Amino acid sequence: MPKLTLRRSARTMVALTAGTIALALTGCGTSAPAGGDGGSATEGTVEWWGWVPEKGVAPAYIEAFNEEYPDIKVNYKLLTIDGYQAAIRPALASSAGPDVFDVASGAMFEQFKDFGVDLGPAAEEELGADWQSQVSPIGVSSFTDDNDELKALSVGLGFAGPVWINQDIFDEYGLTAPTDFTEWKEVCAVLEKNGVGCFIQGAQQVAFNQDTLQAIADTINPGLFTKATRGEAKWTDPDLVEALTAWKSMFDDGIMQEGALGQQQYPDANNGFLSGKYAMVQMGYWYSQYTKADTMTAAIGAAGVAEAVPFTTVPIPFPSAVDGGTPGALFGSPDYGLAVNAKSKVRNAATTFALWLSSATAGQQIVADSLADVPSLNGVSPQLSGLVDESVQLPALQDLITQAGTVTEDRLLSNADLATAIGVAGTTVAAGDATPAEAAKTLQAAAEKAGVTF
Amino acid sequence: MAMTDEARDTRRRPSPPTRAGGGAVPGRRLHYSGYLWILPAMVLSVGLLYYCIIYTGYISTLDWNGSSPVQTSVGLQNYLDILQDPIFWGAILHTVIYFVGTFVVQTTLGLVFAVLLHSRVQLKSVYKVIIFVPVVLAPAVMAPVFRQAFSADGQFNGLLELVGLGFLRHAWLAESETALPTVLAITIWGSTGLTFILYFAAMGQIDPDVLDAARLDGAGNIRTLVSIILPEVQGTTVALLILTAIGSLKLFDVPFLVTAGGPNYSTEFLGTYIYRSSIQEGHVGYAAALSVMLLILAVSIAILLSRRNRQNSEAI
Repeated sequence: MPKLTLRRSARTMVALTAGTIALALTGCGTSAPAGGDGGSATEGTVEWWGWVPEKGVAPAYIEAFNEEYPDIKVNYKLLTIDGYQAAIRPALASSAGPDVFDVASGAMFEQFKDFGVDLGPAAEEELGADWQSQVSPIGVSSFTDDNDELKALSVGLGFAGPVWINQDIFDEYGLTAPTDFTEWKEVCAVLEKNGVGCFIQGAQQVAFNQDTLQAIADTINPGLFTKATRGEAKWTDPDLVEALTAWKSMFDDGIMQEGALGQQQYPDANNGFLSGKYAMVQMGYWYSQYTKADTMTAAIGAAGVAEAVPFTTVPIPFPSAVDGGTPGALFGSPDYGLAVNAKSKVRNAATTFALWLSSATAGQQIVADSLADVPSLNGVSPQLSGLVDESVQLPALQDLITQAGTVTEDRLLSNADLATAIGVAGTTVAAGDATPAEAAKTLQAAAEKAGVTF
Repeated sequence: MAMTDEARDTRRRPSPPTRAGGGAVPGRRLHYSGYLWILPAMVLSVGLLYYCIIYTGYISTLDWNGSSPVQTSVGLQNYLDILQDPIFWGAILHTVIYFVGTFVVQTTLGLVFAVLLHSRVQLKSVYKVIIFVPVVLAPAVMAPVFRQAFSADGQFNGLLELVGLGFLRHAWLAESETALPTVLAITIWGSTGLTFILYFAAMGQIDPDVLDAARLDGAGNIRTLVSIILPEVQGTTVALLILTAIGSLKLFDVPFLVTAGGPNYSTEFLGTYIYRSSIQEGHVGYAAALSVMLLILAVSIAILLSRRNRQNSEAI
């Protein structure tokens, strides 16, 4: 081989090698510097990643935002809730992450708070020095880190606790909404006799089991569940053991659908309810969006029903586990907040968008009108129009919104290990692998191991 | 390309490497050039693979959630915790059951299908397509179908009722005892087509004269299968053994999508447990330690199988 050719080959190889090393190091790198001064606050292209709002809702938010800020283009990437953390973690660790990203309160916030910029000064500039008094207090406290920095702006609040019923099915069989477990079993017996499923839950997705367990516990001893999550009560408390017993009875006494532990809340339980196969499902405030005829029709179609016809769905308090006991109350936390990536090169435009959606009246109004979340900004109420059956749904929704304003109990826990332990307790009891008392004892030990101080 | 006499001579009688001069020079040049050409691939391999493995090894010594700037060194504590973790040992047991179950059933079915379709059967192409189609269906697409089909009011129970076996009805994915066998059944359904194709191709290489000779010597179907076909396709069987072993260790999609590792960890595998620990629970250090354990297991099994394979080859 001629010398010149060999030298050229060597240089090519060295260049290729250097490029490969750079590529490899880029692939495995974990940090990137923040981008410049953050750019213009009124123009630029903002990449937004989230698991909410839904695909059909996000364009309406962006369109309304663009009426006020036409020079900021927002691209929304919808991810599944189950895959969100797997996608966002490496994206944020690299320099190719989104400019704005959804973050839930609790454990998720604890994991991703360090990637966000402090939005407190921006909120103060937008709303004034008394900005904290104009928004939901839990929306602020849930997204404030240990350094008193506001790392995300709460867009809306999410509440769980109610059971949603298919009013049309109830009317067809002359049924009234159950108020306790005894009535619930009677309702289920009638529905089963008529070939309709009673209550569906995707117990394989344990996060939703936590909602149901908390709802049950609140009908036995209001607030005890939340106290236990904070270490103010023990999980072995007889009332919590009774809650686990009631949970087990839902599987054994024909309330829960057979094989619930093999199904997921999304899509299985959601589809089961929306397709009319089941008359009841445990979902939170976010299900209010399905009281609207157009949203409900689209959702039924997405559940696989051809020629979808919307039906009337209304929320009822979770039936009491004790006959004549307290009906279930709501518990909640911010559904999601918007954080601005500290590495973003368009931080200022991204902050403009996050502020508009979370704190501007126009942005919060459109969030409220979607009926997926309770707005974080005080004084904004949803326009309850386009309902399937206004006479039935309007009072129920107004009541739900009123209740949401009085909530004192948390929904999402900041301790992921505790949430896992509650999930395990629920499934072991449901499967018959442990008695309620045994599961409570295991849960107490797991909570202590997870760092909860009792 | 014509080979020079010198080169031919070097190939026949390679010169021992020397420090300088003589006939060793062309050889050294060749080595230098060769290393140069494999350098990009080597760097890619070392950079992307081994660097990340080493980095994972480092993370496995930390108590870290994967995103926090606070990383606490815990030494080998994560590994000690793993050895006392019942979920880890459960995942190992499930992997062993899965490996044995899928290998035995897939191999048997694949071989039987291949033998049948090498005989005089009409509509062979149709059968081949039917057997192979599950291989190309993505588990993500099929997962909701399986959750529905194996639910309490699903099609599988309906089928059992139809054939008079209604007493066997179960909520197959909802019970700890039946969830793992159901996951195995789903995987076998999805992978038997591949086994079949490999055996079908391997059987096509058997000399027909050998089979004819066996027939003339009075061998029946079973004897021909056991004494002629099985030894002839042994290489395929070994390849399937290795593929199934590797597939068992890195199994993720079907249990994650169909059962989410449940109920009560009854279908938890190393892959799903690593994902749960790192992504869902934020124990990235612990998950990295699990990954290292998985790597050690995979390498050990690969060494074991290749040694066995070499011993068998030498014996033949």
